[in-house]
Amino acid sequence: MITAGIDIGSLSTDAVLLRDGEVLAYSIVNTGAQARAAAERAFEEVLEKAGISASEVDSVVATGYGRMSVPFAHSQVTEISCHGCGSAFLDPGVRTVIDIGGQDSKVIRLDRQGNVSDFLMNDKCAAGTGRFLEVMADRLELSVAGLGEEDLKAERAAEISSMCTVFAESEVISLIARGVPRPEIIRGLHRSIAERTAGMVNRLGLTPRVMMTGGVAKNPGVVRALSEKLGTEIIVPPEPQIVGALGAALIARKKRSGKGV
Amino acid sequence: MLSSPISYRIVEGALVLARKSFPWQAIYQMGQFALNQTGRAYTGKVPLVWTSAFFPVEIAWSLQLCPFSPEVAAAFITGIGFGQEALSMGEEAGYSRDLCSFHRCIAGAARAGHLPRPRALLASTHLCDGAPLLFQNMAEIYNAPCFTLDVPYAADRDAEVYVAGQLERLWHDLAEATGRRPDRVALGETLRHSNGFRENMIRANELRCRVPSPISGNDMLAFIYLFFIGQGSREAAEISACLAKEIEEKIAGGRWGGVEKFRLLWLHLKPYYSNEVMSFIEQAGGVLAFEEFNHIYWPPLDPDEPFLSLARKVLAHFDYKPVEERIRVIRELAEKYRVDGIIHFSHHGCRQSTGGSLILKEALQEAGWPVLLLDGDCLDGRNEAAGGMLTRLQAFFEILEERKEGCLI
Repeated sequence: MITAGIDIGSLSTDAVLLRDGEVLAYSIVNTGAQARAAAERAFEEVLEKAGISASEVDSVVATGYGRMSVPFAHSQVTEISCHGCGSAFLDPGVRTVIDIGGQDSKVIRLDRQGNVSDFLMNDKCAAGTGRFLEVMADRLELSVAGLGEEDLKAERAAEISSMCTVFAESEVISLIARGVPRPEIIRGLHRSIAERTAGMVNRLGLTPRVMMTGGVAKNPGVVRALSEKLGTEIIVPPEPQIVGALGAALIARKKRSGKGV
Repeated sequence: MLSSPISYRIVEGALVLARKSFPWQAIYQMGQFALNQTGRAYTGKVPLVWTSAFFPVEIAWSLQLCPFSPEVAAAFITGIGFGQEALSMGEEAGYSRDLCSFHRCIAGAARAGHLPRPRALLASTHLCDGAPLLFQNMAEIYNAPCFTLDVPYAADRDAEVYVAGQLERLWHDLAEATGRRPDRVALGETLRHSNGFRENMIRANELRCRVPSPISGNDMLAFIYLFFIGQGSREAAEISACLAKEIEEKIAGGRWGGVEKFRLLWLHLKPYYSNEVMSFIEQAGGVLAFEEFNHIYWPPLDPDEPFLSLARKVLAHFDYKPVEERIRVIRELAEKYRVDGIIHFSHHGCRQSTGGSLILKEALQEAGWPVLLLDGDCLDGRNEAAGGMLTRLQAFFEILEERKEGCLI
């Protein structure tokens, strides 16, 4: 059985193809201004990589904020369930999932069976999200991908007290003006994100093992700051950005066959 | 338009024409009652008193005054699309956006001249500490006396005597301020109407234990109007009797029910601005089996001891106690109505309701019910990402589905 999961996020759209529970291929494209077009591009790309046609796919589940914009999806499931399912598949011992996406962040608690038992979601402001890092990277004349590397050069962290994106950007401007080295500013920003996210984790209740998913998990500076703040190891899968789409593909399989993942 | 009594008479007339389209005649009657009351409020013929949400409104009815709930008016103003304008005007008047949107909306609507001028204002300190302060501000604007009922937190015998004493003095002072004659016979009659409402609502609530649910919870949330305004009026007693009778008939006729995927207990109020929350729940197969606000928590009133029994009623509220009491009541309701999950609508700015919500959630989860704390605002939709709210709801339903069916369908 071949199933697909499409995760339409605010910044990227990810697709995963599964054959009998094994990942055949995945793709990551920019969402841009049209969620539907992004979903089609991601799907076409993943089909091409796997060398199969759309007609061979038995079931498609869409997730993410743009999940209702995928006409070829057989059903829509929230990114909360999909990240939970994908994480449990990658590591059945995971009990807490931290998903920091482009425009929101979520903490998901899993039970022993890998099912979502509770969650928290912040989508009220950009604090602690990928968008926060984008704004800061832009201000610091770096790519988002370069932030993690730059963090490793820091000897200490600059003090950044604001969690609000706008206020934190003002603080960054002041720190630049004072000549604070860029790596220290970046480490301060990562600690700010960690502070915010740890608050959500503790509100839900920290239960190891912890896995981090979503694009921001690719930033080792954020992962380290969060790990230090929570006082626990954080597992990051090889490609954290596709965990939502992976979960969607797994749920598609489950729905189609009526069996457990 | 809002402040013209003619508007309400026109809508009242239109309502008569649409009478048969109402799923419940009790709702039709309540609509007529609400329009009539609001129209009366603007004519100025009967002395008008503002009452805060939890003030024992029987005091006003017993003096043949016209009670008016600005909180209900704020929800109405929001429902017909004037909410944002009123909220902005409230903020311009100096009310912070961190305050309860009901109060900001009232302040703005008053400033815009949308609300009827009160002869007196009646506020209670229990459950909502913002309301008495807002009412004091409004009293200055309208140059009307504000009577504040001070309700102590401890519900013991001393508290009953203290509150009863205040109510009796307030009743006399209010009569003097509004030119009414205090009449103990009329007070007794008012309490009998209030008891009628109480008994009928208990009867309706008992009938709602049936599975599938005989009436939609969204329809039942409309009856909050009677809780805030109607208690002590003949109309509220009649409307609630009609409601109970209609539910009985529906059950007896065997013509009720549908597919209930999830039975839910709804805590606190709902968003009143244009939103998809209730329709989303319905489309997902969710049924509000019961709502916290429709729970009858107080003992019957004694017409021979009117003030003492009203004091007992005020002090009996389970939310004006340590959070353990709210947990106890919600657990009882969850069991009684056999719900699959509990949704707490956490209205921004409501410290009374959201303050203990984490403890409540933990206790209910330990007892086996999935709980969703749905952060939002009853009136101010400007800070709400509609998609985020629906995602939370859908994710919660996915948890319920997983528990019930063993897989996401």
